[in-house]
Amino acid sequence: MEEIKSFKDLDREVVEKGICGKCGGCVSFCSAGELNALEMTENDMPRYINEDNCQKCGICYMICPQTGTLNVELQEKFGWKPPIGDYQKVTSAQTTDKKIRKICTDGGVVTSLLLYLLERNLINGAIVSKKAGRFTRKAVIARTREDLIEAAGSTFSGSLHLEELGGKYTTYTPILSTVKSLEKRYLQDVAVVGTPCQINAIRKMQCLGIIPAHLIKFTIGLFCIENFSFDDVARERLEKKLDINLESIVKLNIKDDFIITMTSGVTIHVPLEEIDDVARTACFACQDFSNEYADISVGGLGSPDGYTTTLLRTKLGSSVYDEALHRGYIQERTFEDSEESKLEKTKMMAKIVSYSRRKRMRAEKKLSKLAGGEMLGEKN
Amino acid sequence: MERKTKAALVIGGGIAGIQAALDLGDMGIEVHLIEKKPSIGGRMAQLDKTFPTNDCSICILSPKLADCFRHPNITLHTLSEVKGVTGQRGDFTVKLRKYARFVDEEKCVNCGDCAAKCPVKVPDEFDLKLRKREAVYPYYLQGVPAVMTIDRENCLYLTRGVCKICEKFCTREAINFEQKDTDVTLDVGAIIVATGFDPYDPSGIPEYGYKRYRNVITSLEYERLICASGPTGGHLLRPSDDKPAAKLAFVQCVGSRDLKNNRYCSTVCCMHATKEAMLAYEHNPRVKSYIFYMDLRAAGKGFQEYVSRGEQEYSISYIRGRVAKITEDHNESPIVWYEETQSSKTEKLTADLAVLATSLMPRRDVEELGKVLGVELDEYNFFKTDPLNPLDTTRPGIFVCGCCREPTDIPKSVTQASGAAERAAETMMR
Repeated sequence: MEEIKSFKDLDREVVEKGICGKCGGCVSFCSAGELNALEMTENDMPRYINEDNCQKCGICYMICPQTGTLNVELQEKFGWKPPIGDYQKVTSAQTTDKKIRKICTDGGVVTSLLLYLLERNLINGAIVSKKAGRFTRKAVIARTREDLIEAAGSTFSGSLHLEELGGKYTTYTPILSTVKSLEKRYLQDVAVVGTPCQINAIRKMQCLGIIPAHLIKFTIGLFCIENFSFDDVARERLEKKLDINLESIVKLNIKDDFIITMTSGVTIHVPLEEIDDVARTACFACQDFSNEYADISVGGLGSPDGYTTTLLRTKLGSSVYDEALHRGYIQERTFEDSEESKLEKTKMMAKIVSYSRRKRMRAEKKLSKLAGGEMLGEKN
Repeated sequence: MERKTKAALVIGGGIAGIQAALDLGDMGIEVHLIEKKPSIGGRMAQLDKTFPTNDCSICILSPKLADCFRHPNITLHTLSEVKGVTGQRGDFTVKLRKYARFVDEEKCVNCGDCAAKCPVKVPDEFDLKLRKREAVYPYYLQGVPAVMTIDRENCLYLTRGVCKICEKFCTREAINFEQKDTDVTLDVGAIIVATGFDPYDPSGIPEYGYKRYRNVITSLEYERLICASGPTGGHLLRPSDDKPAAKLAFVQCVGSRDLKNNRYCSTVCCMHATKEAMLAYEHNPRVKSYIFYMDLRAAGKGFQEYVSRGEQEYSISYIRGRVAKITEDHNESPIVWYEETQSSKTEKLTADLAVLATSLMPRRDVEELGKVLGVELDEYNFFKTDPLNPLDTTRPGIFVCGCCREPTDIPKSVTQASGAAERAAETMMR
């Protein structure tokens, strides 16, 4: 029988090649099972704590979003179809809660959906990220309305958090390492808000029926072009290029372009191409923009200010959205007539599809380059 | 003339099958006891207490399980199914399929180290999916044989060729993925069928909202919830919010005495509802229970007195009226709508939890077993019997007892089992 691929292979094929998305899936599984073989480094990269503890079970390799081991199974399970995966409906919505509207990134749909799930006891916790300092974010478990509101804001726009780690800034929040501690807190049903790579790893774990993903009942996926990791060099380069001081940023958002809101209230729009050079290289190998396996995918793209573009994907996603709408947690954008509604929705979809294509093409290019490099390496 | 003594076969390791096997074994007859599940114990092992004595079910069952396991004349075949029966009374040839456990029964000490490390979580069948278990698991805590089993449907090694973590953590080297299913042939003189029942699925009555409303559960689910070794550790908590349930509505005849479902009376539900209401009161004297019934059937030794005690000492209100529908309020509390037949008024009652007394039905796969055994079933798919030979099936040499014959409570199942054992022994001594 073929040798089971273990973390050694994962390290060689993904981490060393620079395409690890830092989703934390491998580490969260390994620590949830108390196998104690893996940990996250300070830079959120997985590594062996102690190789002797590795049982060579092969599960970390299987659930990694970058190895593709379970891709076909996942596609079949979720009825994936091009170009953006399966979905039931696309809509533009916003929260009805004034307090949430004030602090949210787009329309506050994520906070309101989580609030609905919590208040109806459909979940007893949600993993979200929260501001821990001026540029620092960390993953927390929200169990009450207050927790959620405290965590709301650019938090949920996914690619937009700034996290200070050592001398580095990153826009990414590691959520999956929080999942491992869930059972100890007696949480049974949890919702997770995550980037496509995070949701992908969760879905793969659920395909296998393994811990800790068995606790996750609902997934909200964020649209994601890329996350940014600003080391000192990149940071300096960006500051120079845009002629701003990163310290004076209050809010980041991505819609048609990269939107930076400064403390002075000034908003700067930067074409996405111009900031590609500070994005994490792993993101260039990711093919999923619209979070194709989430129950509900959300983002600002395609909606006017104050609204969230919402893709209802799974049956569960649709029913939760419909109930939250019915119970008045959220409201949909109104249109003059059905013609306008149709037109706007077509425009929304066109944008999502075009961003998805862009990301997919970029990933294909990157991956084929990597494959080419490997061939060259073999020749040497 | 030398007497021909053959072995006997008992199909089903619930209380009826266990009693039949023990009686035959005690008569000096060799017995093969067949159980499809990983451990014997059956439905009785899932109950918290038994009526009309409120004995702890597993406590009075466990000694019998151990007796079966240790009995010199009884051979247990767990994870086994009867695949074919040929021959005739006194001389049957039985084909048995024994499924691999992937755990060496001789080596496993049931320590649970494997389950502690198994990364898979799937709904637990014994606890009616109210909790999750691992892919290597004990069928239930007190199960006999007391060894682990690997669930081939969910084990990552058996389905996908990865993992094997359990094997690495088992200090007894009891995990054995090389085990294969085997076919065994047994020569027996008589067969006793004791395959028990499956509960009716109340999703078939949409007006009761089962599966739609989280606080509407079945009696068997209730038994697990109130059982100390159950998923909530015996705390009667509402599934919707884990808050203690203090006001209980027991809805009787769910699927029984129902022209659209089963026309027969399931016979045990009036009594088990009374028992279940008593148990809640014993846990918390502030609990108030309402039992909605059509006719209160308390025909059995000590049963009527049991109901009277329920009314007088356990604050149970018996309300005569068939429940028309169940809705729920904003707290997800079930609202039971019924006609109070004594006053002919339509009434409603809001409870914390509604418990549906689901009908006892023949096992879903009983038709297949009927064909394998070559015996007839009745109009409801229970094994057909004759009023004057109530333990004989339509094929000579094959006998029947317990709930696969008709809905039967524990004392009567045991009585029938002893009767069936005697009938089988008589056949073989002929």
